[in-house]
Amino acid sequence: MFSMFKNLVGSKTLTQEDLAPALEKMRDHLIAKNVAGNIAEKLCSSVGAKLEGKVLGTFGSITNTVKSTLEESCVQILLPKRRIDILRDAMDAKQKGRPFCVTFCGVNGVGKSTNLAKICFWLVENNFRVLIAACDTFRAGAVEQLRTHVRKLNALHPADRHQGQTMVQLYEKGYGKDSAGIAMEAINYARDCRMDIVLIDTAGRMQDNEPLMRALSKLIKVNQPDLVLFVGEALVGNEAVDQLTKFNQALADHSNMTNPRLIDGIILTKFDTIDDKVGAAISMTYTTGQPIVFVGTGQTYTDLRNLNAKAVVSALLK
Amino acid sequence: MVLADLGRKITTALRSLGNATIINEEVLNEMLKEICKALIEADVNIKLVKSLRENVRSVIDFDEMAGGLNKRRMIQSAVFKELVKLIDPGVKAWQPVKGKNNVIMFVGLQGSGKTTTCTKLAYYYQRKGWKTCLICADTFRAGAFDQLKQNATKARIPFYGSYTEIDPVLIAQEGVDKFRSENFEIIIVDTSGRHKQEDSLFEEMLQVNNAISPDNIIFVMDATIGQACESQARAFKDKVDVGSVIITKLDGHAKGGGALSAVAATSSPVIFIGTGEHTDDFEPFKVQPFVSKLLGMGDIEGLIDK
Ligand SMILES: Nc1nc2c(ncn2[C@@H]2O[C@H](COP(=O)(O)OP(=O)(O)OP(=O)(O)O)[C@@H](O)[C@H]2O)c(=O)[nH]1
Ligand SMILES: Nc1nc2c(ncn2[C@@H]2O[C@H](COP(=O)(O)OP(=O)(O)OP(=O)(O)O)[C@@H](O)[C@H]2O)c(=O)[nH]1
Ligand SMILES: [Mg+2]
Ligand SMILES: [Mg+2]
Repeated sequence: MFSMFKNLVGSKTLTQEDLAPALEKMRDHLIAKNVAGNIAEKLCSSVGAKLEGKVLGTFGSITNTVKSTLEESCVQILLPKRRIDILRDAMDAKQKGRPFCVTFCGVNGVGKSTNLAKICFWLVENNFRVLIAACDTFRAGAVEQLRTHVRKLNALHPADRHQGQTMVQLYEKGYGKDSAGIAMEAINYARDCRMDIVLIDTAGRMQDNEPLMRALSKLIKVNQPDLVLFVGEALVGNEAVDQLTKFNQALADHSNMTNPRLIDGIILTKFDTIDDKVGAAISMTYTTGQPIVFVGTGQTYTDLRNLNAKAVVSALLK
Repeated sequence: MVLADLGRKITTALRSLGNATIINEEVLNEMLKEICKALIEADVNIKLVKSLRENVRSVIDFDEMAGGLNKRRMIQSAVFKELVKLIDPGVKAWQPVKGKNNVIMFVGLQGSGKTTTCTKLAYYYQRKGWKTCLICADTFRAGAFDQLKQNATKARIPFYGSYTEIDPVLIAQEGVDKFRSENFEIIIVDTSGRHKQEDSLFEEMLQVNNAISPDNIIFVMDATIGQACESQARAFKDKVDVGSVIITKLDGHAKGGGALSAVAATSSPVIFIGTGEHTDDFEPFKVQPFVSKLLGMGDIEGLIDK
């Protein structure tokens, strides 16, 4: 992608005007990689600021400067400021005799329920007993979808391999009920039955749908889960920014608390469907400053990865 | 409708042309920049945006052009034509034939809204008096049959599917045969979500297609999709004969530009849009009126035919 800077080679000091055409090409390149428009813009200005006023004699030195600046910015955006260690925190909670609770939220169809099931598989592999709370009481088949996963997961990890204990259970109250209430009952049930972890599935909702956003913040406010995970798909374009901003905003606005629970981390799904158009990873982390905790890379239980920031950045610069 | 947001921005940009006292290259560039920005923020494929800009520029030759009004009209009509090209593939939408079996197969990426939209479409035709049914040929996704069954039951639409059969080709075939023999007019087949990177899934789609020979294939696209849309849409079209596009989730904030890019990639018109999770959150989509409304400038419409 660096050929766009070829024309800047020379002995004169680089001005904004010199840089503008190349930076515009770079912006288009980032947008083609599915970085949201305004974030691509900002990344380019930061590269521009590094180059302005410099004399960069050779193409090699320009390339290096652009590359390292962009790399640095992207890695900085992607690298977690805070580590989320679910296994350790769940163990802590277990020792305190209470279940560790995780809520999954996001817009419609992004992969909340499926990736919840993948994470459940990973937790069971690590010997935790999990209760899945079916708090999507709206979408047709949502409860049966989770029940199917529970059946499959228990078949993979039968009780006789775990001292006779059923590793995964479903807590459901069918459709049409208040999801915050079901989550609370599920957490109490998990505590009583000494289950280690509660994974709370919620209905998909559009970020502008006020009643539904209100219901989500109620669920989170009332139950104070240990972790609130936002599920977003790698396919999403400029909407990534709006989704995350408004989910956080709604959680803050409807909580009536000085320190409301906001999104703690992101699950980036459908990473296997985008080739090198990895921009959503940048858009989402840039917008929230929160880490991508998992990357979904397919439709089976083992298709769950950690984010490889280096690989994302090199796909972006390719 | 949210696509109208995009229209508003474009209209504002075009209006700036009307306000300028002198129209020169700079004014044109400024306006094109605004329009392209609006299109990019609406997720329209960047290659399409670039070619739109180039095409408009190439029609306008400032040295050769006469004064004010003429320039304005030429620029506006060039922009208009390019936008129409974006939304209108120039082919007539497939229409079902009353009194015959019309088999419609739904395809698309995971979670784009196929299953929900199947019921919406069935319900739409049922209310218009067609004999309509649904088939669940998704044997992969957990709870897929329950989802379709619950939706169909609520809308009182006959359905077919299986909890035990794992071959979608077989179910699709059996369902279509059954409903054909019962003289259903609209037979809608729901399939699993899939993506071009997984060959076996695309192969499965082809096999379902070959088994049921659908009269139309509808590609369902989510309005929030970004730059990955184009290559996915093209891959679907290369594998099976996609004839129509439905854009879902336009009740959100998304402008649907990414999904609109599927129009160019599949050379297929958008026929309906989804505007919510409920069965009647569904609207027919007509290209020509839409574009006129989008741009809110009936006066320009006459220009393109001259
Ligand atoms: N290719 C791919 N597909 C995925 C991935 N994660 C989820 N999916 C698929 O995406 C579709 C939707 O997944 P769900 O888990 O039902 O999504 P959801 O967010 O719970 O949907 P709603 O509850 O309806 O809002 C399913 O077909 C999943 O198999 C992934 O990482 N890669
Ligand atoms: N807000 C909104 N949600 C929609 C619309 N259409 C579908 N959905 C929701 O999007 C999610 C996914 O829809 P599905 O119909 O399950 O998608 P699908 O393409 O069949 O998914 P797979 O079979 O897993 O590939 C569900 O939560 C639907 O309720 C729409 O127009 N607006
Ligand atoms: Mg779900
Ligand atoms: Mg489906």
